[in-house]
Amino acid sequence: MLKNRVKEMRARHSLTQSDLGKQVDVTRQTIAFIEKGEFSPSITLSLKLAKALQVDVNELFWLEGEKEDEK
Amino acid sequence: MKNDIRVTYPLWMMGFIALLGVIAYGINSPKTEFIDTATETSLTVQIGPFESALIFGAIFVYLIVLTIFVSKVKQYNKNNPQQKISMFSIRPPEYLEADEGMTYITRWAVQKVYTFYSLALPALATVVIILPIPRLLIIYAILGLAFTQYGIYYAEVRKHFKEETE
Repeated sequence: MLKNRVKEMRARHSLTQSDLGKQVDVTRQTIAFIEKGEFSPSITLSLKLAKALQVDVNELFWLEGEKEDEK
Repeated sequence: MKNDIRVTYPLWMMGFIALLGVIAYGINSPKTEFIDTATETSLTVQIGPFESALIFGAIFVYLIVLTIFVSKVKQYNKNNPQQKISMFSIRPPEYLEADEGMTYITRWAVQKVYTFYSLALPALATVVIILPIPRLLIIYAILGLAFTQYGIYYAEVRKHFKEETE
């Protein structure tokens, strides 16, 4: 399962789900789905999110049980 | 988004199906008498007062609900010119495809509906073939399938919109 820290990074940048959604051209609901882990975004959207949140994509997303201890 | 017409569309359809069920009962209840002799040919249709009230009442309510629905769709199209709903489109308007997250939710819901039909349709066909079921019951069974289809779709989509937080 894909884990993420989108919510954490979004809060760090003081962005709402709507703000982030607008930046990466998706709806607020999709950001909420990603944060809740209900939906694994495509590589394109993952890269867009990483760019918007100014982090490396590997810091934003990782596979459960792989690098979780490091996060 | 919860009150978006694309999200609530299945509920509207469930309402229309329920009204169709009432109309179907009214239309199927008349007693008909067909006389065809050498001297007389006539068809008599008798509708009881209760059934008449049911048919016309249901048609009246249907038209009111339809008017409200059409005005809601027009309002939606005005507010969302990029994602207009066409009343005559073959593609179901309840499909949420604004982005990949919405498409994922839609696909998930459609898969559940497909699973339902893959079981329910053969089961219904078998029952209808084996048992001497009256016409009205077959109509209700078909309407029931459609009603359940929208129920499954709506429940699945709604589940993902629960506990929305900023």
